[in-house]
Amino acid sequence: MSDLAKRAQLAAIEQSGWGQPFRLLQPHNASFWVYAVGVGAGAVSIVRYFGSGGAFYAPAIVGGVLLFGLYLVPWLLLLRHHNRFTSQPAGLLATAFFWGGIAATFWIALPANGALLEIWAKVGGTSFAANWAAGLTAPINEEWGKALGLVLLIGLAPRLVRSAYDGFIIGAFIGLGFTVFEDVLYVYNGAAQGFGVDQLGTTVQMFVVRGASGIVSHALFSAIFCAGLMWVLGRTPGERNVVGGVLAMLTAMAFHFAWDDMGGLSGGGPLITVLPFAIGVVELVVLFFVLRQAASRERAWTRDLLGPEVETGVIDPPLLDAASGLRKQRKAYRKSLHSRRKARRLLEGTGDLAHEIAKAGGADTPRVAHARSELLRLRDLP
Amino acid sequence: MCPFKRGAGVRPDERDPITVHKVDSPFPRTAKGVSSTVSSPQGWVPVEHRFLGLDRRTFPPALIALAVALLLLYGLPALNSAIQWNNEIRAGDVLDLGDGATAVPPVGWQLESGTLVGGAGASPTSLQVVLASSGATVQLRGSSFDGTADAYLDQVRRSEGDSAPGVDGERRTLTTSAGVVGVAQSTTGPSGDGLDVAFKVGVGSAVEAAPALLVRVRTTPGQFEQHQDEVAALLRSITPGGVR
Repeated sequence: MSDLAKRAQLAAIEQSGWGQPFRLLQPHNASFWVYAVGVGAGAVSIVRYFGSGGAFYAPAIVGGVLLFGLYLVPWLLLLRHHNRFTSQPAGLLATAFFWGGIAATFWIALPANGALLEIWAKVGGTSFAANWAAGLTAPINEEWGKALGLVLLIGLAPRLVRSAYDGFIIGAFIGLGFTVFEDVLYVYNGAAQGFGVDQLGTTVQMFVVRGASGIVSHALFSAIFCAGLMWVLGRTPGERNVVGGVLAMLTAMAFHFAWDDMGGLSGGGPLITVLPFAIGVVELVVLFFVLRQAASRERAWTRDLLGPEVETGVIDPPLLDAASGLRKQRKAYRKSLHSRRKARRLLEGTGDLAHEIAKAGGADTPRVAHARSELLRLRDLP
Repeated sequence: MCPFKRGAGVRPDERDPITVHKVDSPFPRTAKGVSSTVSSPQGWVPVEHRFLGLDRRTFPPALIALAVALLLLYGLPALNSAIQWNNEIRAGDVLDLGDGATAVPPVGWQLESGTLVGGAGASPTSLQVVLASSGATVQLRGSSFDGTADAYLDQVRRSEGDSAPGVDGERRTLTTSAGVVGVAQSTTGPSGDGLDVAFKVGVGSAVEAAPALLVRVRTTPGQFEQHQDEVAALLRSITPGGVR
């Protein structure tokens, strides 16, 4: 094993923070207390909001929680798939999720949105507010409210939250929390608007509408916004890009504006039927562009981390390309092996080895040796 | 070390789980002659970085997050309170209740929510209109409801429970100039007087499928009589779509 490869491996472990544990409970850390105040105040706000009519609107609330709880499952599977390369610990992602769902939604957005919506109505009149107030309010209050979760996580886990890709994944989890909790709020409000008539019908209707729009909503906005914030902060060598970062943040806010003010943008005409799809397509194209840009640093770290294993022959170059690559490289690897199953197993085994190496800080521990032997065993399987 | 700085964020206490690090000390040896290279347990904050038990190096992200949150939480409501309503109803203005239904609001009241005819448009089943004048508010809320106006008022009352202290008056029938029939019930309590009027905004055979409308008037104690005529005129002016 060359000294150069080992040095690159250790540098990748150091820079990425991969393998570091996450602890939320850090009484000496000011970010922990701000997080606790935000989530605590948000929880009190939830109890107040739902408490008064909780019994009468129980069918709507329970239905909303169940349906949007199920809605989480495919989202978590999707985000788990993207949380590869130098993956984030589950505890950190759960912390991000609950900031988005409880603090950003009920501590910040609920009162701040109410005030700003009214300001727009006072300044521009109620007709202007009906068309534009939502889109001029939510991108400010909600995007910043959610991004504060990322800022606090930088304070809580400065070694773990380093790259734009970290911002992307953490932002997606904060946005997912926001979406799910806000959707339950919408279900409740929908039932209350009709004074509790046909609560289950209203819940299912809201689930279909909000669930569909949620695909290109908060998780996407926050992933782009938080990746942009990380580019601005530039917490890894060579990754600072203030212009690109600000552009990404503004783009996320512009998407949020367009999504919330579709009625105003369409002028009340037939365009309203086309706009959701058009905006959704543009959002997804930009999302994958940002994802690709943000992943470049993580991919380089993965290559450096596994470099010594390539030199010793445990990992061959095509497997390294696939493990550190994008969909295209993984597809090419599958094709070269003529076996989807074998490729999947080898990639997962490589991920295990990378994780154990990072966790051991580059040392040769029994777990690293085991992960290595497992990979060799998998290579010999048909 | 500020966590926002490039490559920053490695505090000795974060190294997992026990880290040996060199302590720069003016005294290279202790009294017992032990070297100053010591183990720092997890969570240990060096004395020079402590402030009220917190690690001062963690302040920048926490304070930035707290400042932005407080700005959104208290700054915006404060700004909102400083701006006065200036959306007065003028003679000739007509409220849009959705699907062509309308009402004529009292001149001089502030329109705080909802749109006028010719504005952004309104949905009769998610209608939210708020009119305010000194000591009085009128809310108009629309929703879907299969049943009579009387049953709708029952549903409204049921959904709100008996939490509000007060005495309910008898239910009365109210017919608007366009023939829309509503059911009205007044309340009186320590916090003021109120009137709820439930309508199915349609006439003739269209009533069954028509959207429901609740007009809710609330005044501070002793103020209802002062606004009674204006409220009555508003109620009489409610016109379903396709009638004008």
